[in-house]
Amino acid sequence: MSAAADRRDRRVNPGLSRNRPRGNVAVLRIAVVVLFAVLGGRLVQMQLVDGAGYAERAERNRIIVESVRPARGLIFDRKGRPLVENSGSFTALVTPAFLPEDAGDRYRLYLYLEDLLGIPALQIEEAVTAAVERGQRDLPLAIARALERDVALMLEQAAADLPGVALSVEPRRLYPGGPEFSHILGYVGPQSPEEWRVLQEDGYAFNESVGKVGVEARYEAALRGKPGSAITEVDAQGDLVTVIERADPEGGRSLVLSIDSELQRYVYELLSNTMGEASAAAAVVMSPVTGEVYAIVSVPTYDNNIFSLPDPGEEYQRLLDDPRIPLLHQALSPVAPGSTFKIITAAAALQEGNVTPATRRDVDSSVLEFIGEDGQPYYFYDWRVHGDIDLIGAIAWSSNIYFYMASCGIPQEGIGGLGSDTEQSAIVLGYYARSFGLGQVTGLDIASTESPGVIPSPEWKRRVRSGPLFNPEDRDWYLADTCFMGIGQGDVTATPLQIAIATAAVANGGWLLDPYVTSRILAADGSVVSTAEPSRQRVPVEEEHLAVIRRGMRQSVIDGAARLAALPDTLVAGKTGTAEFVDPEDGVTRERAWFTGFAPYDAPRVVVTVFYDLGVGGVKAAPAAADIIGYFLEHVDP
Amino acid sequence: MSRFGTQGALRAWDRFDAILVLAALALVGYGLVLIYSGSLASYDGPAASLENPVARQGLFAFIAIGVMFIVSRFDYHVLLHYAWWLYAISIVLLLALIPIGQTDFGSTRWFALGPIQFQPSEFAKIATVLLLARFLSEQGGDARDLRVLGGSLAITAPVLLLVFIQPDLGTSIIFAAIWLGMVVVAGIQRRHLLFFAAVFLAVLPFAWTFTVADYQIERISVLLDAEEDPLGAGYNPIQSQIAIGSGQFSGKGLTNGEQTQLDFLKVKTKDFIFSVLGEELGFAGAMALFALFIILLLRGIRAAQIAGDVPGQLIAAGIVITILMQAFINIAVNLGLFPVTGLPLPFVSQGGSSLLTLFIGIGIVQSIVMRHRAYRQF
Repeated sequence: MSAAADRRDRRVNPGLSRNRPRGNVAVLRIAVVVLFAVLGGRLVQMQLVDGAGYAERAERNRIIVESVRPARGLIFDRKGRPLVENSGSFTALVTPAFLPEDAGDRYRLYLYLEDLLGIPALQIEEAVTAAVERGQRDLPLAIARALERDVALMLEQAAADLPGVALSVEPRRLYPGGPEFSHILGYVGPQSPEEWRVLQEDGYAFNESVGKVGVEARYEAALRGKPGSAITEVDAQGDLVTVIERADPEGGRSLVLSIDSELQRYVYELLSNTMGEASAAAAVVMSPVTGEVYAIVSVPTYDNNIFSLPDPGEEYQRLLDDPRIPLLHQALSPVAPGSTFKIITAAAALQEGNVTPATRRDVDSSVLEFIGEDGQPYYFYDWRVHGDIDLIGAIAWSSNIYFYMASCGIPQEGIGGLGSDTEQSAIVLGYYARSFGLGQVTGLDIASTESPGVIPSPEWKRRVRSGPLFNPEDRDWYLADTCFMGIGQGDVTATPLQIAIATAAVANGGWLLDPYVTSRILAADGSVVSTAEPSRQRVPVEEEHLAVIRRGMRQSVIDGAARLAALPDTLVAGKTGTAEFVDPEDGVTRERAWFTGFAPYDAPRVVVTVFYDLGVGGVKAAPAAADIIGYFLEHVDP
Repeated sequence: MSRFGTQGALRAWDRFDAILVLAALALVGYGLVLIYSGSLASYDGPAASLENPVARQGLFAFIAIGVMFIVSRFDYHVLLHYAWWLYAISIVLLLALIPIGQTDFGSTRWFALGPIQFQPSEFAKIATVLLLARFLSEQGGDARDLRVLGGSLAITAPVLLLVFIQPDLGTSIIFAAIWLGMVVVAGIQRRHLLFFAAVFLAVLPFAWTFTVADYQIERISVLLDAEEDPLGAGYNPIQSQIAIGSGQFSGKGLTNGEQTQLDFLKVKTKDFIFSVLGEELGFAGAMALFALFIILLLRGIRAAQIAGDVPGQLIAAGIVITILMQAFINIAVNLGLFPVTGLPLPFVSQGGSSLLTLFIGIGIVQSIVMRHRAYRQF
């Protein structure tokens, strides 16, 4: 074989050796034997020599894995005033199986508990006997609930020497602010079976409370924090032997609301004291710049502290039975907006061009005769004879006839409405209403039953008026539907919050804001985790048209329907609303009182919307709004 | 005529080592039983599902055995020919782990290829065995020369260090053992051996201080006294020792171990599967496992003994050492003799990547056995 072939051969068959391998393989056998002998020896020691000891340890190896719940995050108002406290609910527990065997010892223990808790020893004995008879010897039995804190502490100390006695502490939320905060804060409560199905995925314990409504529910994930865990070894008696592993819980995050708690209280008391015959009222105070809500009040309200009682059942039932529906958030519940809606009709008409600031109408009669689709005359009323007015006067005096003209037109005089025909006019007006935030939920960050309200349209009417309860002609869209829509009556409904953000869009030059009540989220150590970012959309109306509406609203306070909203030091602008409705109780037509406005006129800093379910807007709502604006400018944002 | 041994291999299947394969299959079967018991508490789905760890492992075993037959069909010299390439690929893969690997329990050892996890250090073990075998045999199969020794060390050190920084202490010890075992088989001089032992002891304190990750120190010190600090790191050793010790001679019966079934044991189908065996099948079950391992390893040593040439002998030795050390360290961890390192018990623990590598190793050993006469002619 040549040298080259040999090299190639070595390349192809590297390491090819002509020698019989004579490596030291025996050492491998020795290694196998030695290493397995080591393992075998250790096994002999562990399993055969010490096996009984390990078996005993396995027997009493009772390892308990507990979830350690973090403290729930707190909630503060915009000035750092606390709106919620974490507290404990203390319960004295007795486990019959662990009580002393001897009857005498047992009774001495009951007597001791009688001293401490004030529960007669005999009563405890009866309860224990009954539990044993039910076969519940091993279950802890609650003998006293809602203990005072110092009693609970004494019991906790004493329990160490009292076999079978224990103290349980359940976290409890206290809301010190009063019922005026209930609709914002909401409350926490036990999970429903549906919630449990979802929440157990996130590691919730079955008996863990969760936010049910309000910001407590909306920010549940942040407020709850991250539970820790403790793995402890206990002996057969259940006593702690050693802590094996402990992961500290991560405290819940705290919320800083944009709400001013003193303003909230002021508004709540103001509305409560000016209710008169009204049974419900609401007010929204918000920023026309950022969308943050300073106060949002609903009357009547409820005490959210009842939900942290051991058994809220009775109180809760009373709330459910109350005909005034205290659990309903009035500021998020839709009703007819009445003449406050005219600011939207005015914006639509100016933008569409069917009305200009110079368009005049001589309202020389409080009645206008329309010829209906069936050729019959229909009489539409204004609330007074306004005389010859332009758009600003029509807003200031809230002329219905002027706004019929602006929305549905006056066909018999050849005056066109917003669109080419009656249905088109309604559709165009509906488009603008939606642009101003009506007919859809605002998404306010309070978990509640916020309702979108209704902006009707011919298509909507055909849909909801179908079915056996209605005649075919009930589904048709009439001239009157468009006209009534133009003055915020008919089928139109809106929530006080929607009217407030629509007002804000007029005040701030055309920006529809997303309202919010939570301005900052803080970590457990107080550092800011996130800050609310104001978001807004452009309303499709020119700023010059909105300026006309603002002038009309200012005029209304100077010498129009909203005169009672005037303040000495500030230029207030506003629009009243007095929405008629037929009371389903007795068939009598009654009125709802509205006012929505802003101040100061030239550089708006606050929007106020006030609503009473009974009353006249200019008489009842306007002065209340003035008080709120005055209070706001003096105390909240001087 | 080809020298790739095809002629010799014509009769090769006659020489196929059935005992070796049967021992490996018995270990896999034993593993399936233990995985079943160990996963009872966590898996309650249908039996015939890829979610079922037992079915999954069975499927992997089936594939791995197929791969073993394919590998044994090839002449192991083909692998030797590409040894440098395989080694280079291993280094690249281990380097690539640094930025893109999957971090698991604070350690970066895996690539995620869709649903499959691929552990480059498994591949690197085989590549390193092959390259060491080629290098040492090219030097005449003789590690008495200090330069040969240094060269072999230079081959092992990069993979060892790359694995060590993952950090994977257990696998880096395997690499050290592969090197040590192979140079011993290749005839290292006693004074060199003593020299390396001295260097190792001298470097140990520095390595301890500067390079061993905190969690490894914690595990090692826990090993020294697991009872002293049962917080966190001491949990697994205590629970595995209680499990094994309480199994006593005959065990508590399959699926009856409360340590296993009540979840005191963690990773009990993988790193701590021996504890399941110790608790439920006792000393007797452990001895049966040891017997299977010893049969398997002795058959591997037989392959080294009868290998037709030096590289064949060294490869077989390297694979035997890999399996031996992996089994030893894993069981030692379970018995509280060694810090927790995260090595699977070969053939027994759940895990497709490990099983595949092991059967490739067995396939190479078969290839050596089947061709030992073909190469002895030279």
